[in-house]
Amino acid sequence: MTRRTRFVTALGLASSLGLATAVAAADDMKAAAGAAVAAKPTTPIPHGVFQKPADDKPTAKLPSNWAYRPLEAPALPATLKQAKWARTPVDKLVLAKLDKKGLKPSADADRATLIRRVYLDVTGVIPTPEDVAAFVNDTSPQAYEKVVDKLLASPQYGERIGRRWLDLARYADTQGFQDDESRPGMWRYRDYVIKSFNDDKPYDQFIREQIAGDELWPGKQEALIATGFLRGYPDAPDHRDLLEKRYNAITDMTDTVGTAILGHPIECARCHDHKFDKVSQKEYFQLQAFFANTLPSDNLPVIDKGERERKFEADYAAWEAATVDIRSRLSAFVEPYRDEIVNYGHERFYEDGRVSLKKPRSEWKSLDRWLNYRFDQYVTRNNPNYGFDVSFFAAANGYFNNRLEVAAAEPNFDKAKLADIKARKEAFGKLYAEFRKQRDKLPPQGATIVSAVFENGTDAASQFIYAGGDHHRPVDEVQPAFPALFTPGKTQPAITPTDHSSGRRSALANWLASADNAVVPRVFVNRLWAHYFENGIVSTVSDFGRAGQKPTHPELLDYLAKRFVDSGWSTKAITREILLSSVYRQSSAERQDVAAADPYNKLLAQFPRKRLDAEQVRDSLLAAAGLLTPKDGGPGAFPRLPKVIYEASARNVPDFWPQTDKAEDRYSRSIYMYVRRSLPYPMMETFNGASPQAAHSRREVTTTPQQSLTLFNNEEVFEWSKTLAGRVYRDSASNEDAALTRLYRVLYSRAPDAQERALAKQFLSHHEQIIAQQITNEGGKFAVAIPVGLKEAPQVSPTRLAAFVDLAHALANSNEFIYRF
Amino acid sequence: MTHHKISRRDFITAAGKGAAYTVGGMLGVGGVFAPMLAQAGEAVGGGFLDPKPTHYPGKAKSVIWLHMNGAPAAQDLFDYKPDLIKLNNQDVPPSFLEGVQVNTQGGAGKLMASNRTWKQYGQSGKYLSDLLPNLAQQVDELAFIHNMETIGATHDISTMLLNSSGAVPGRPTLGAWITYALGSANPNLPPYIVLSNGGRGLAGGSVNYSAGFLPAVYQGVPIQLGDTPILYLDRPDLLSSSQQRDSLDFLRQVNQRHANRYQNDSELKARLEAYELAYRMQTTVPDVVDVSKESEATRNAYGIGTEETNDYGTNLLRARRLVENGVRFVQVVSGKAGKYNDWDAHSDLEGNHAAQAKMVDKPVAALLKDLKQRGLLDSTLLVWASEFGRTSYGQSGTGRDHNPWGYTQWLAGAGVKGGFSMGQTDAIGLKTVGKAVSTYDFQATVLHAMGLNHLKTTYLYNGRSERPTVVYGEIVKDVFA
Repeated sequence: MTRRTRFVTALGLASSLGLATAVAAADDMKAAAGAAVAAKPTTPIPHGVFQKPADDKPTAKLPSNWAYRPLEAPALPATLKQAKWARTPVDKLVLAKLDKKGLKPSADADRATLIRRVYLDVTGVIPTPEDVAAFVNDTSPQAYEKVVDKLLASPQYGERIGRRWLDLARYADTQGFQDDESRPGMWRYRDYVIKSFNDDKPYDQFIREQIAGDELWPGKQEALIATGFLRGYPDAPDHRDLLEKRYNAITDMTDTVGTAILGHPIECARCHDHKFDKVSQKEYFQLQAFFANTLPSDNLPVIDKGERERKFEADYAAWEAATVDIRSRLSAFVEPYRDEIVNYGHERFYEDGRVSLKKPRSEWKSLDRWLNYRFDQYVTRNNPNYGFDVSFFAAANGYFNNRLEVAAAEPNFDKAKLADIKARKEAFGKLYAEFRKQRDKLPPQGATIVSAVFENGTDAASQFIYAGGDHHRPVDEVQPAFPALFTPGKTQPAITPTDHSSGRRSALANWLASADNAVVPRVFVNRLWAHYFENGIVSTVSDFGRAGQKPTHPELLDYLAKRFVDSGWSTKAITREILLSSVYRQSSAERQDVAAADPYNKLLAQFPRKRLDAEQVRDSLLAAAGLLTPKDGGPGAFPRLPKVIYEASARNVPDFWPQTDKAEDRYSRSIYMYVRRSLPYPMMETFNGASPQAAHSRREVTTTPQQSLTLFNNEEVFEWSKTLAGRVYRDSASNEDAALTRLYRVLYSRAPDAQERALAKQFLSHHEQIIAQQITNEGGKFAVAIPVGLKEAPQVSPTRLAAFVDLAHALANSNEFIYRF
Repeated sequence: MTHHKISRRDFITAAGKGAAYTVGGMLGVGGVFAPMLAQAGEAVGGGFLDPKPTHYPGKAKSVIWLHMNGAPAAQDLFDYKPDLIKLNNQDVPPSFLEGVQVNTQGGAGKLMASNRTWKQYGQSGKYLSDLLPNLAQQVDELAFIHNMETIGATHDISTMLLNSSGAVPGRPTLGAWITYALGSANPNLPPYIVLSNGGRGLAGGSVNYSAGFLPAVYQGVPIQLGDTPILYLDRPDLLSSSQQRDSLDFLRQVNQRHANRYQNDSELKARLEAYELAYRMQTTVPDVVDVSKESEATRNAYGIGTEETNDYGTNLLRARRLVENGVRFVQVVSGKAGKYNDWDAHSDLEGNHAAQAKMVDKPVAALLKDLKQRGLLDSTLLVWASEFGRTSYGQSGTGRDHNPWGYTQWLAGAGVKGGFSMGQTDAIGLKTVGKAVSTYDFQATVLHAMGLNHLKTTYLYNGRSERPTVVYGEIVKDVFA
């Protein structure tokens, strides 16, 4: 192995193994840098108690408050040795470091490579051969700008960058935990995120809406939906410990804000004062106090009704009319037992939480309201628009069953009474079964509800510091305040309650999105940079604290952050600036001098190639096959699951994954795929998709045989390859040479060279023989896979066509397709 | 759209579909049981799965973790309580309920003794109930921990805690930590495997074998009963083995040609090798889980071929074959027995536990014996665990509710003291008396058996040095000889 090999290994580690390891690998790499050929790596992944990793390249004179100090535009370097290369201020700031190191930047990538790169990065999907040709043949000096502007204006831009925000928002359509119930209205938050990026909503506004939209803009639907950011945490509806359930909720909200927006692992301070950053345990709980009255809900009503909502209401009204009889009979039956049933419901929960459930409504305070609201959602609410099988009727059914079981088990139970209880249970059981049949005819859920947070009173529950983070061990009471680390001297919020709400989150939202809090724009522009290059300027994208890495280009970071705020927090403006830079346009071709001088490519003398992420892999395969189907938001799509998984999952809950043969379910972009917490979609999981269990900061890259099996043996992908083969054949009037060229253009954005063409032809001939031999061996009883979607059977033998399918399948599996360069 | 005209149909060259494929002549056949092409494995894992040293010598090379899904009642299997039998059908004396948050709907029922008979077994004279007659013969191999305690009262939360030391999702599971810390002993097999036989499956699903924040290569791979043990291991229909090999050769050529432009890029090379390893796995994985390769006597011993025990027995025999081939961590989740999806007997405890015990008793006993005969018990840690236990008071008259306050798990093999019991519950088997063993302690103990210290097994994530047991865990040294 050469030095470069070791470098790549170290990079792989850096992206996936955490800093300590990456740094160790880097040191190992440095030690070996002298030798032309290093031995195979022997350093094991180290164990050992954590020590703060040394920065790889300490930046001279970087003040310790680099992440928090007010934003100032840095002076741009005046004299640069290779100034001609620089198109933009970004380039100058990158070039300054290259000059210093004596490294030349790389020339622009060739146009085909560049357009494939920018399409994948901005829209998440490969360009069509026509897109490529238009760009390659456009001689105007603005050709590239035009492409960038077109892509930034396309709806696919929001579908791509929005997915990254959903990673941070740990977005999923289900609760997680045991029955992994649906959140039928959660998709509105996904659509909100996509639309916000497409509208280029100012980032400060985006933050305010997600943290306190309900308080700041009461009655505004978009703002309410935005708070789905806080609601998105994994939740256990069946948690018997209601107090812990609430604590888990506000803990997740606090920690997610810390990771996603502040770029700090602030949760470390929940159990003890932060070891590296100056955040005390007290400050952690002061931050948590902003959420003390925040109520999560999965069935808040939609405010603005469109076609979908009106249709649901009409369908639902029809359902109600059709079921008025059975529902009134059920209601009449359970009404005399209402108190007993509710009481039976209470008994499911721990005694300390039950205290609140037993209190009369007139005595409820913040905490009681919280517990009762959640209890109602779980047990007594009878909202047929919602997916739970625990409406009041279901609770009643449980109650009648339980009473019979208990009575029947009692040896000396009064016989006549037992008979009554049994009769009651059976009578209700019949009614309930009748109702359930009707219930299955309900129109699809999710059309008129929102998963979000809100408050139902102006007071907030007392917030304590908890010893060791254990909520059974409260110490001192605290009031909301901002951690001094971020805005020294400005830690006291001005909180004004509204008529329905404590006003706490508004204060938090305004603080997060204020110009005083300079880490917030720094963290966000760094995420954008990391999205387009392999690493962030700060490589620990969600840790700008002292345990994280320092910026490789602090001036560039500040330049982008300042520009961002000055541009009105415009994500598109900064993205455009990044994409138009010479740094971004560089070739990724390998350079020995870079490998030797800057093995981590931190100075960006060449463009970093990258494996496509999970969504890009799937969506580009679908695009290549011509199958990718547009979807205008709405409830999640259910693409096919592998049979074995589908059968195992559907065993318990038949509608666990209601897959259909509709193109919208099977072939829409992966961002619209229903996200089930307990069942990650296999292809997404295999290619390092985002885990929805906590804010997901970075897509790792691992290379595994499971990925190979997923692409090569998966029936679904093979089907797409058949369709791809059919498509290029069809586009080429069934001329094999033309089809071959077309295949390369679709997959790689370029034509094959003479050698590649010869290689492919050779494969087709040899492969055709193998298939023919197979048929002979099987006595003629052998089926072959041929291209799908041909207009008419071409004048080519089926064996040749089958060989062409395998050619397309192999090329769709190749590195050149699965990476972008 | 014109592509519907001959829509999604394959041209069939002759009547009939499919063929009997042979795999003869493939690379790697016969080499299944020895780590081979280690170099390729290294490249594929990018070093992630390279074998790594332990912190100190540990006896266990592998773990077989028997998860009793749904939670059996210790009072009906291992925790003999004469007083519970005496107090049958009486109210729970209030002193026993101190610190117990009763959340049984209908309130705490009357104390319940089931229809068990108890006898002493082995040299240790351990009392076991009549539900486990075969396991009773192996009692001198087992070390019982009667003072287990956990948190949560629902299956999802407590199962997640047991597996990942987290009561909310997101943490890596124990198998992932072990694989991360020790790497793989056989590059041709996934080092962390999950087996199950129907029923409800682990509450919360894949979070229970997730890699959490560790790299995805460390997550558990479910192996299914039936013909396709691993997802996508079978070739697509209409693709013969020789065709596949030829296509892969072409792919290799294409990738190689491309990689020539990136001479030093090991990630691209690793992807080349990943296809070869995947290709070999098509043979190695089915081979290693093929229990028909075992003698009839062995299969019979595991209860294979008998309806009640066939699936679970198959999984346990597969587990043995997997650890024999260097798999680090095998979790076997107990499944459906007759009409009972799992051990979760809120009512009809008699029927439930009889069926569930019948399903596991013979196979588990056979596994112990088999491992011992093959000299594998010294290097394999066998774990019997559940998310919690069940209450001593009844629920619905005929069942028991969840009990996180005191229950029993056991260990065997790998230096564990056989015929040993530690800890105790109160006179009715409800709550731990004295010091309890937590799930964190239990994990730390398993890691210790593997030669890993739970405090020194760390991974830096989000600025925090994470450990398998968070900031908790004390090794239960008493269970080791």
